[in-house]
Amino acid sequence: MSKKRVMAMVLAAAMTATALAGCGKDGGKGDNPGSTTENGGNGEESSAGSGEALRFLDVSPSEMRQTYYEGIFAKFEEETGISVIYESVPWDDAANKITVLGGSGQLPDVMTTWSGWLGQYTQAGWVIPLDEYVGDTRDTYTDAVNKLLWKSEEDRYGHIYTVPDGLMVKGVYVRKDWCEEAGITLDPAAGWDYAEFFDVVHKLTDVENKHYGASYRGARGAFDPLLVYLQSYTEGNTYDQEGNILINSDECLKAFEDWTNIYLDGCAPEDAINWGFTEMVDNFTGGLTGTLINDSEVAPTCIANMEDSQWMVMPMPRSTKDGRIYNTVNAPYSYTISGDSKQPDNAWKLIEFLTTPENNIEYCQKTGEIPIKKDVENDPMFGPDGPYTVFVQQLNDPNMAVPAMFGPFDYTDMHQGMMHEEIQKYLLGTQDARTSLDNICNELEKRMKAYKEEHPETVIETALVM
Amino acid sequence: MSKNTNGKQRSGKLARRRKYMPYYFMLPVLIPLLLVFGYPLIKSCIMAFQNYKLGSGDIYFNNFENFKKLFGDNDFALILKNSVIYVVGSVAGQFLLGLGLALSLKKRFPGRGIYQSIVFLPWAFSAFVVGLLFRWSFNGEYGVINDILMKLGMEKGPAWLGTPGLSLLVVMIAMIWIGIPFFGIMILAALQSIPNDIYEAADIDGCGVFRKFFSLTLPFIKPTIIMTVLLRTIWIFNSFDLIVIMTGGGPANYSQTLPSYMYTKAFSSYDFGLAGALGLVLLVILGIYAVLFLKISKYEEAGDF
Repeated sequence: MSKKRVMAMVLAAAMTATALAGCGKDGGKGDNPGSTTENGGNGEESSAGSGEALRFLDVSPSEMRQTYYEGIFAKFEEETGISVIYESVPWDDAANKITVLGGSGQLPDVMTTWSGWLGQYTQAGWVIPLDEYVGDTRDTYTDAVNKLLWKSEEDRYGHIYTVPDGLMVKGVYVRKDWCEEAGITLDPAAGWDYAEFFDVVHKLTDVENKHYGASYRGARGAFDPLLVYLQSYTEGNTYDQEGNILINSDECLKAFEDWTNIYLDGCAPEDAINWGFTEMVDNFTGGLTGTLINDSEVAPTCIANMEDSQWMVMPMPRSTKDGRIYNTVNAPYSYTISGDSKQPDNAWKLIEFLTTPENNIEYCQKTGEIPIKKDVENDPMFGPDGPYTVFVQQLNDPNMAVPAMFGPFDYTDMHQGMMHEEIQKYLLGTQDARTSLDNICNELEKRMKAYKEEHPETVIETALVM
Repeated sequence: MSKNTNGKQRSGKLARRRKYMPYYFMLPVLIPLLLVFGYPLIKSCIMAFQNYKLGSGDIYFNNFENFKKLFGDNDFALILKNSVIYVVGSVAGQFLLGLGLALSLKKRFPGRGIYQSIVFLPWAFSAFVVGLLFRWSFNGEYGVINDILMKLGMEKGPAWLGTPGLSLLVVMIAMIWIGIPFFGIMILAALQSIPNDIYEAADIDGCGVFRKFFSLTLPFIKPTIIMTVLLRTIWIFNSFDLIVIMTGGGPANYSQTLPSYMYTKAFSSYDFGLAGALGLVLLVILGIYAVLFLKISKYEEAGDF
């Protein structure tokens, strides 16, 4: 064999090895299948310890959350000897990432999961039921967890699949100073109805001074708050028991028009047709819009960026039809144990540890959520004088109801596309309101009926009351 | 005799070895390429004919259902039209401005190096940064563009990102801005390789600026132009990052193009079957375009690149 040929082979082999090494991660250290960790160092140290490290996936990473979890995992290891590897994936990519990991059987042991993904995950077996683990401790959780969240999961999926990290409930953030200027008096304890809410939105609009009445959500997720408003005319329900859609009545069509009039009447910036969560919050805290319907998680952002005299929170408006407050209650990043976990008992130990009263309260203070255990309801932060009082007040309001969702089937594609696109077409004047609402409703009804045909035992979800 | 035969055999072997030598060198690149491009390509072609929704667990061949769904989509014509406008507008803008930039940089002038490094800067930015930059610049309320328009006397600037037509235009402007340096660099390199003698001869013959440009410069840089336009068209046609960052394809799909639509279908709706069908359509469109473009531009006769 000639020298040249040998050299060629050696070089080829070396380049291949280099190229393949380049495809790996950090020289092969701490490789976890599907790992998205941004702090490989921590993971490596942890896994090196007992050899039974749990993998934990955070779907809403931030510096604050990462620091919190790293601290709590260190405490957990001290107490139990079980190390935990922290992995994270940005929220926008989280659903994709979990889907890919689930498809390839590489899900981490414990995942933070949004309730909206559960339909897909339970069907695919990516999360396991937790009923037996929760067992007798059920009474230690608040009524909102027991009677709303877990009841809803049991109705929809037959089991409990999640332990909430904290509770999110919606409220209306309002510019207090603008209201004072406009001579509007709002009383959170007395609440308001939708007619009053729309009135305030219009009164706060002063385009010349760049004051818009509402942070209008026009892009992804646009149908979510609108659905709740439509359901205020259907007693919180989306379908009847035969699977016929209820939110396309003439009354609901009028509600659809009233809601979208916020944008069409110029009470929101024109760009808002393309706004998602970030733009809504930024423009409220930045001083462009006067109201914002969102979860309690926005409160820390308001505390950090606005003066106390500038903002306040009102409860969600009451239905103008039946006087109830329809409000979604969810746990955005609930803990679940994946179907791929080889050590579910240890995974449960970790979840139990994360949700002890003292750990849960520490977490909720940082994330702007409402604690899930009864023992912590009286904490000053969440009491009558704390910044979360309106959210807690709604959770304890017997007049509050949690409306039904879109359905137990997979509606991700609709949620990510046609729902807001149909509304946008109406806002742009390319089709009428009836067509937009019917297109959404017909597709939902078609899927609900197909699901019901496949699962004849399905009891269609109705609104939950405490 | 046997010595001669052995000698011939050896030289024959040597010739064969030399013939295959380049392939050995190519192997380290070829194998990873086949793994990271070849396999996904074949897989996506297969998925195009499957009901393949991640999470459903029910994956099966469904013939041409994905294509029927794709072509039956009410917004497909709009998205196709957007794609054509986006690609033609962006490539034309990048090419004309890039050519202008290269011509202006051809002659030496004081500070040319600094100027050159500044104008080539956009090429170094990530699409994510550029997307954010332009999204803020064209913000309907706080954006610097509307601020300038209002200072120039306009009562209220348009909602760039929320208006059909304008949202796509903003993405095109951002795309043009990113791509000018690519054309600038490539064309400048080609311009600098043109011998000065021919321009001197043309001067002696009394040629004007335009005659020199159209009869000398353009023919000399034609192979570079053909190759860069071809490459850039394919890249722009395939790109979706700016659209996803700046408008998300909205409002109501008015700034959606085929690749961004494919991305949405694959990674937001998890309908990999439909996304695969879209990918196949893109592949066919780009393949036809490349063949036609090379034929029409007579690339074979244009000389070496």
